[in-house]
Amino acid sequence: MIHLINVTKKFQRETVALDGVSLHIEPGEFVSIVGQSGSGKTTIVRLLISELKPDSGRIIVGGWDITKIKRRHVPILRRQIGVVFQDFKLLPKKTVFENVAFALQVAGTPRSRIKNIVPQVLKIVDLEDKTDRYPQNLSGGEKQRVAIARALIHRPKVLLADEPTGNLDAINTKDIIDLLLKINEFGTTVVLVTHNKEIVNAIKRRVVTMEKGKIIQDQKVGKYFI
Amino acid sequence: MFLLTFGRSILFAFQSFWRNIWLSLATVFIICLALLSINFLIIINAISDSAIVAVQNRVDISVYFKPAVREAKVEEVKNQWEGLPQVKNIIYKSPEENLNDFKARHQNDASIQETLKELEGNPLGATLVIQAKNLQSYPEILKAVDNPAYADLIEEKSYDDHQLIINRLNAITGSVKKGALIISLIFAIISILIVFNTVRIAIFTHQNEISIMKLVGANNWLIRAPFIWESIIAGVIACVVILAVIYPLLSIIQPYLAKFLQGVDFNLVSYFNHNIIWIFGGQLIGIIVINFFSSMLAIGKYLKV
Ligand SMILES: Nc1ncnc2c1ncn2[C@@H]1O[C@H](COP(=O)(O)OP(=O)(O)OP(=O)(O)O)[C@@H](O)[C@H]1O
Ligand SMILES: [Mg+2]
Repeated sequence: MIHLINVTKKFQRETVALDGVSLHIEPGEFVSIVGQSGSGKTTIVRLLISELKPDSGRIIVGGWDITKIKRRHVPILRRQIGVVFQDFKLLPKKTVFENVAFALQVAGTPRSRIKNIVPQVLKIVDLEDKTDRYPQNLSGGEKQRVAIARALIHRPKVLLADEPTGNLDAINTKDIIDLLLKINEFGTTVVLVTHNKEIVNAIKRRVVTMEKGKIIQDQKVGKYFI
Repeated sequence: MFLLTFGRSILFAFQSFWRNIWLSLATVFIICLALLSINFLIIINAISDSAIVAVQNRVDISVYFKPAVREAKVEEVKNQWEGLPQVKNIIYKSPEENLNDFKARHQNDASIQETLKELEGNPLGATLVIQAKNLQSYPEILKAVDNPAYADLIEEKSYDDHQLIINRLNAITGSVKKGALIISLIFAIISILIVFNTVRIAIFTHQNEISIMKLVGANNWLIRAPFIWESIIAGVIACVVILAVIYPLLSIIQPYLAKFLQGVDFNLVSYFNHNIIWIFGGQLIGIIVINFFSSMLAIGKYLKV
């Protein structure tokens, strides 16, 4: 599903964010990426959605070599990959329903289909009774669930979650992780970037550990060991 | 798909216009100011044009023929001068008309009336009143009139004063036009800068929205379109506001203008009525074009990733 082959990414010629990283993720896997601050985790996410271009190496997502992707193809790539971030990135002036519908609108989905799909996805994230609220009237966990619903709306093969629980308390964190596991059970490949030791140890899935732009450990059933 | 996206981008634009109503109103207000200054310029241009035309029409060369010269001869000279390319028209005034005019002009002067009664016959000859096509042509016409061939026929020519007016007017017209041009250029640049900056501010406040649109896979045109529509909506609203404001303003100016342009038949309201398509159509198209390119330019750097 995801292949990074010997990928290097530098910033301003000096900062080496990724240094010859190779990573293979199979379809349907649930992979946690852990590592100290500045070790290059977010850089991997940004490369996968083509927000950044690698300096060398190749990146393949779902069989599509996006290493030298054309600018006009980037939107198509992003509709095939769901992403959520620590800061949710919701539109404050749109309701829950509108925020999720937005991702379909930009793809030119007909209104009737939007009316049909959005409630289904909001049900998966357990927000069907808050569709008309604005983000400012939601809790952190609810906001993150809206963001996940939006990321799922195109039925992506991959869901990237960059510290999705960074702003959440323990209970909300557990809800979000359970949701990600549920999504993974449906068949979506999930890549979770996190700092949270308990989570990683509790979910008992593959863990990739990074340090200074390199993968230093890759365990099938991993533990957070730093 | 295309039409759907097109319709949605307009919808987004209206939503965003409404949800950021204060910024939108500020934009409309600033475009209104720019349009107002452009309309002010149009008014100044119209006034100065009509003033110049008015003075031009008043300037003429009167050639007074000797009483002895026969009408046929005057007609012949008239025909010759009408052949000159600079001449717009020539009016013939017969000796009788001149006498009647003279009497009418001096009807309150008893001594002149007395003298006229004592005279036998008409002491006045015919007159030709020459108008040039434009002010610059008078010197040429004067040269033609001064031709020695006509010296025996002509009693007097009244053009010396006019020469001065003509020169002065030429100078004034020239500098008024030059000034108007410079002012319009300055106004044009100011309004482009204002619109460009307002779009920049609008985009800046939407930075978050743009990055989210990119994240969920909106293509660049869909990201641009709402901003372009929003600026066009602001421009159209500003045009409508100006249209509503300008007419009352014109009727306020009109009485002062009439006083200033005494005797000149010029009405601002009917001038605007007459040219409404040019004036407002031009402004509407102009503002749409300016806003389109300003938005394109202003949004450009946010679309890189
Ligand atoms: N836009 C940028 N310009 C310059 N340097 C950058 C940029 N983005 C990231 N870096 C550098 O690249 C390195 C990797 O950054 P990255 O964001 O991938 O770290 P991270 O593992 O996500 O850290 P954190 O856990 O704090 O989120 C860091 O040294 C960072 O300073
Ligand atoms: Mg990070």
